[in-house]
Formats: sequence, structure tokens, C-alpha cells
Amino acid sequence: MKPRLTVVSPKAVSGVRLPILEVRSLTKVFRSSHAPVKVLEEIDITAAAGELICILGPSGCGKSTLLKILSGFIPPSAGEMRLDDRPITRPGPERCVVFQEDALFPWLTVAENIAFGLRGKGKDRRAARREVDRFLSLVGLTPYRDYLPREISGGMKQRVALARVLILKPQVLFMDEPFASLDAQAREEMQNLLLSLWAKLSHTILFVTHDVVEAVTLADRILVMDKNPGRIRAEIPVALDRPRRRDDPEFIRFSRMLHDGLRGSGEGNLPGWP
Amino acid sequence: MNGSTLRNGLSGLLPWILPALFVLAWIIVSETGLAPTYLLPHPEAVGRAGFTYIFGDPGQGAYAGRFLSDAGASLFRVFMGFSLAALLGVPLGVLSGRTPAVRRLLSTSVNAVRAVPGICWLPLALVWFGIGFKTTIFLVALAAFFPIYLNAASGARGVDPLLLQAGAMMGVRRLRGTFAILLPGAMPSIMTGLRLGLGIAWAYLVLGELTGVPDGLGAVIMDARMLGRIDIIVVGIILIAVMGRMSDLILKFSLRCLFKSARRMT
Repeated sequence: MKPRLTVVSPKAVSGVRLPILEVRSLTKVFRSSHAPVKVLEEIDITAAAGELICILGPSGCGKSTLLKILSGFIPPSAGEMRLDDRPITRPGPERCVVFQEDALFPWLTVAENIAFGLRGKGKDRRAARREVDRFLSLVGLTPYRDYLPREISGGMKQRVALARVLILKPQVLFMDEPFASLDAQAREEMQNLLLSLWAKLSHTILFVTHDVVEAVTLADRILVMDKNPGRIRAEIPVALDRPRRRDDPEFIRFSRMLHDGLRGSGEGNLPGWP
Repeated sequence: MNGSTLRNGLSGLLPWILPALFVLAWIIVSETGLAPTYLLPHPEAVGRAGFTYIFGDPGQGAYAGRFLSDAGASLFRVFMGFSLAALLGVPLGVLSGRTPAVRRLLSTSVNAVRAVPGICWLPLALVWFGIGFKTTIFLVALAAFFPIYLNAASGARGVDPLLLQAGAMMGVRRLRGTFAILLPGAMPSIMTGLRLGLGIAWAYLVLGELTGVPDGLGAVIMDARMLGRIDIIVVGIILIAVMGRMSDLILKFSLRCLFKSARRMT
């Protein structure tokens, strides 16, 4: 059995940041034909408003399932989850998701996709159009407003996916490996875009990834997940200064350590960081 | 420089090559006397008969000038039967595509009824509705229903669940989700079903009209056979082909005008 990794003390948050998302002892058991499979075990997460948390884990550790439960698409088997002190029961625009795959509506243009969630919210047309224009320019897609999803690249599609949920001003944003299918350059661009949007709009973000460098680039705090059953094995604050540079020696050292810690079963402990 | 215009011109010509070859073969067969005129009249005779049928004054001859009223009657029957089939087929199809209980409820019966050739219903329809309008509409609606229903069902079933999840997370509830996500997502299939259904509607129109109604293109064909007017039979067949093709184009065009999803996904 793998030794439990020591959990380091959470990053001392500057000022008073209220917890907005609280997950307590969340467990998910899938009933298969043979025996029940425990996918998630006793997950605890507390996210402060404006925090960017990465959930880092190997494929199959249940991190996507965790996001599906938090966004309300599937119910947990046990446990409690509250957003802003209200229990989470079903999908809603206060908890938005950017999916890994392309989930844009193929019959709507870029601008119409971004406007989709605004309809039926009692906004008058001029205000809605101004909002759409603003988010189009925030994600750098103004020249592409009338293109259809099939006419733009994968990276642009994910920008649209980001804009169409940010425009709804969600209290938390769940991102399920949103850049995993992009090439390295587009991925880096998207990470930078996400960070600049985060700096401007200060959302609370829960970002799932299996990519160590991505996690170190983005996160205030990294939750490392184990698989079989999926549980949070360690919680690592990332105290690197922002903006972070991927060629910075500190950055590289941190990533390597994290990387080794993820693989290393023998030595076990992730170093008490920093 | 003219390569692309030439290619465009050629591809514009392409649909007309087969009909032109067909007419050519027909002329050759008639001119050489390979086919006697009592079996296949000369194209020129058919052309003249068609002209009188469409543009002639009533009273000029047996079929002169009847086209407008016949075509009007046939179009009306196709329209009524097809609309009935679409009004039932699309909602039921979408419902059974999305709701397993409805699918289980309907699929056995639908497939059993579908296995019955449409022509078997003719005697029963004659008994129920008598000769004419109602029988024709019944047959047209029945036959057109199945492709519309089946394609709507498979289209609705095939809509990516991720799109519905995306809608749910953006706060879209059931009703709006149906009209804003489900129907557009299923639109390519729905459109295919409607076009297949319309094609079948024309086939069953003629079947319904063969039974002795006084007007309609099918009636004209049947009538002409009894009077031995082969030229009018051929005219009727050609006109049905033309009107079938045109109604398909009109259907496609109006769907594209009405729905973004039909315009942008097909």
C-alpha cells in the first residue's frame, strides 16, 4: 500500500477570503454488473472566493466524475456540497463548466453561442449585444463573431466555450481538461488567456488536469488525486510569483518535484512545500 | 482563367445529362420504329399532348386545359396528407427518440404496421372513407408518417448529450432545451425524414387517385389508360416527376428559410 502523503498546511490566504465552495466527505460508488466500484472516496475541498485550484491526477482517478458531480449532472453517493452555503442539487448557471470536448452548438455562430445563456434572463437586446461584444473582445474573437464553430480552430472553440460561460458570471467555474486536445502552442496561449481573464474578472476556478506543468502554471493550490479509489492525496500550495515563467528555475524545480512526487511511490512524501 | 467557370457550367449541366440521353434514346426508338406508337408514342406527339393538356382551352379536346385543376387537386391532397404525417411524425419521433418508455411503447407497433405494404390499406380505406379525397389523404399520411417518424426518432436519439448538458449548465430548462437544443440538433435527420416522406407522399397520391376520383394527376393517368391515350399517360408521368422534384426543392428551401439549423447544418 502506498504511504499516505503528508498534507501540508494550506497556503496562508492574505486577508479574509470566504470559502465559497465547500465539499465534505464526498463519495461516489458506481454500481457495475459485478461489484460496486468506489470511484471517489471522502473528498474534501474548500475553495475560497477568487481562488484558482487545480485538481491534478492520472487518468481514471475520477477527477472528471468529481466535476460532473459538483456541476450537478450526476448525484453523489454520499457527502455534502455547498456553494455559497446553498446545497448543490442540479446544474445551474452559477456553476459553469468548460468541457474537454467541443460542446458548442454547431448551428449557432460564435456570437450566438456566447449569447446563448443570456437569452431568457430578461436582458434587453442592446445590453445583451454589448455584453457579447465585450466578451468577444476579451477572448480575442471579435473578427470571428459570425463564424460557425466548424469554421474555427480547436483553440478558438475553447475560447468561445470560455466566453459563453464567463458572460453568465458564475460563482465558480469548473474546467475539465479544457485544453488537453490542443497543440502545445495553443495550450500555452489558452493558459495565458485564462490567467489574464482570471486577473481581470477574479473568478473562482476549479481546474482539472493531468498535466503537471499546466497545474503549476495556473494554480494557487494543487490538489493531487490518487486512483482506485479516487481521493485527494495531497494539497500543495504553489507559492511561485505571478506571472510565472515556464523557464524560470524555480518553476522547473517545483514542477519536477511535483512530477516525481506523483510517480514516486517509494519515497512517498511530497516535500513540504515550499 | 476560365477553368472554374467552365467547371461550374459543366456541373450545372450535369443533372440534365441523364434526362437528355433518355429523350434521345426515346427519339431514336420512335424514329426507327423499334417501338410501335400504340405502345410508346413519338416524343413530339407526347409534347403536343402535354401542351394541349397544360395550355389548351377546355373544349379543344378530351384533356385540353385540365392541368391546373388536376395539379391543384393533387397538390392539395399531397399537402394535406404530408402535413398530417409531419404533424404527427416529428413530435412522436422526437419524443420516442428521447424517452425510452415512449420508444418501448411505440416501436413494436410502429414496426409491425410499417411492415404492411401501403397498398394493403387501400381496400380498407375504400370501405372506411369511400372513393376520393379522404382515402387519398389517409394513404398519403400513413405512408409518409414512417420515414418522418423514424428519422426524427434517430435524430433526437443522436443529439450529443454534451450539448444538452451544456444547455442545462447555462440554466436552460426542459421546454427551451427542446426548442433551442434538441430540435436544432436533430434537424438534419428531421429534414431527411421529411424529404423522404414527401417523396413517398407523391407515390401514394397516385395510388389513392387511381381508384376513380374525377380529378388529379393519378386520375388522369388511369382515365387515359381506359381511353387508350398512351400520350396522356406519359404526360402525366412526366408531370408527376417534375412536380415531385419541385416540391422537394420547395420543402428544402422553406426549411432553410425557417430554421437556422437547417440552413447551417445541411
